[in-house]
Amino acid sequence: MDAVHEVLARSALVSLTATAIALLLGVPLGTWLALSRLRGRRLLATFVNTGMAVPTVVVGLLVALLLWRSGPLGNLELIYTLRGMIVAQVLIATPLIAGITMAGLQALPPELPDQLRALGAGRSQLIVRLWLEARVPLLAAAMAGFGHAVSEVGAATIVGGNIHGQTQVMTTSIVEQVGRGEFGEALVYAGVLLALAFAINALLTSVQQRAASWARS
Amino acid sequence: MGSVLKLRGIRHRRGGREVLQIDGLDVAAGERLAVLGPNGAGKTTLLRLMAGLEAPSAGTVELDGTRTVHADAELRRRIGYATQRAGLLSTSVQRNVELPLRWRGVGREARRTAALEALRRLGVEHLADRPAPALSGGEAQRVSLARALALEPRLLLLDEPAAGLDAEARRSFLDDLAALLADRSITVVHVSHRPDEALRLADRVAVLVEGAVRQLAEPPHVLREPSDATVARLVGYENVVRGRIAVDGQILLAGHPCGLRSDRPPGEVTVAAWATAVRLGPPKDGSLEATVEQVAAGPGRWEVVLAGDEALRAHLPLSEPPPAAGDRRSVSLDPALATLLAG
Repeated sequence: MDAVHEVLARSALVSLTATAIALLLGVPLGTWLALSRLRGRRLLATFVNTGMAVPTVVVGLLVALLLWRSGPLGNLELIYTLRGMIVAQVLIATPLIAGITMAGLQALPPELPDQLRALGAGRSQLIVRLWLEARVPLLAAAMAGFGHAVSEVGAATIVGGNIHGQTQVMTTSIVEQVGRGEFGEALVYAGVLLALAFAINALLTSVQQRAASWARS
Repeated sequence: MGSVLKLRGIRHRRGGREVLQIDGLDVAAGERLAVLGPNGAGKTTLLRLMAGLEAPSAGTVELDGTRTVHADAELRRRIGYATQRAGLLSTSVQRNVELPLRWRGVGREARRTAALEALRRLGVEHLADRPAPALSGGEAQRVSLARALALEPRLLLLDEPAAGLDAEARRSFLDDLAALLADRSITVVHVSHRPDEALRLADRVAVLVEGAVRQLAEPPHVLREPSDATVARLVGYENVVRGRIAVDGQILLAGHPCGLRSDRPPGEVTVAAWATAVRLGPPKDGSLEATVEQVAAGPGRWEVVLAGDEALRAHLPLSEPPPAAGDRRSVSLDPALATLLAG
């Protein structure tokens, strides 16, 4: 069995990388959905909201079919690799981040974008300022994305294969130990996973609540 | 003096309805134009077109000879815009005022100085470090105005900046705004549905009704000679009633002389009279009479509602004993405080 710290480091690497990429994709997508008046925006918003509810095992299955050696993206050789697992987790976290970003920006006063433009904000200045105004929900989006990525087991198992020393992460390891009846070991891994989730979320929550309480003070 | 702002052939549609029709409107450099109109007249839409935030369905809006439609940030940066809602950001008051200066490339020290100076002029310098979301409505409006003024804009657009303030805060805010604008040469367009607010700050008033300019003139002219009954009511005339010019030139209301005369030919006429124009006396044969329906104490006056031959409102001096509800009185109008409208 891999040492706990090695599996923990692998879990953190996969989930944090996936969350970072999902933020890079999801925040701009959510921003566009919140601000755009183009046709098709509502349909895409519906897809994003649906994506928030898709079971991770279904995402894992679809990604595995794409990355399978004989699949359309098989030549990338990502199946049973950490990079493949990151791809799956990005697909899981992105709709969640985009959906929360969209809702957070839409909760701002509707006249705010025009007020900022009237004050002379260029396009990028406007968007950055709206993100800062919606920083509390945007941090919630980051926390939700990370939480979803670090806790999912279906896609990690299907796409990563739970290969010891290579793609085994905390969640797949817990499932394996429970399958073998090693509940003590499973509880240790579960405790460590909870501690990781707690540490990351404590950091983000601290930033989020400081921002919220400052605005109220 | 050249025009800073020029509107030509404006037609603007929204929701399948034409909401603005303005053939031409110029605002000269340094001029303060008030746009007075009821809710839904198109005032805010007009300001949005001026600010380049919206493109008119037809026609042009030019700022210093450049069309504001699809204006880039550079052109919009010549405009200061304070809206009905203060629209402050969730950061400190000082950073709120500094931010638009930063977008204009003003250096750190210069924008700090400009922001504090603008806050000082509006009497809110002591709030500089406070979070903007924690301000009261009056404080927020002052900061919003300071933010617009700190830009030293070529054109300042004010959209009912005192809306939502209580009477005392509004009075104090408008006093300070009037003083600020008096010693600057900024071109200002100020929209309001309140005549006292609009007339007080303006060199000229454009009365906007259903998207069209009904009257464009200096405040005393609009007050003395409103172009029609709608404009008269908008500028505050409490009594706008239909009457008739008799052959002898007397104005008759409900068939009785009211104390006004005209040299117009006999026929129908609309009379606009301030409540202070209404004089009450003991009933007399053949005079215009009314029954006192309500009497209430108002600011420095008795406010009287009359029913009868004509429904009128009268403001009487507090120094005189008020009539009692149910009293029958003769009514006349002071010619100095009443006017005949066209048409």
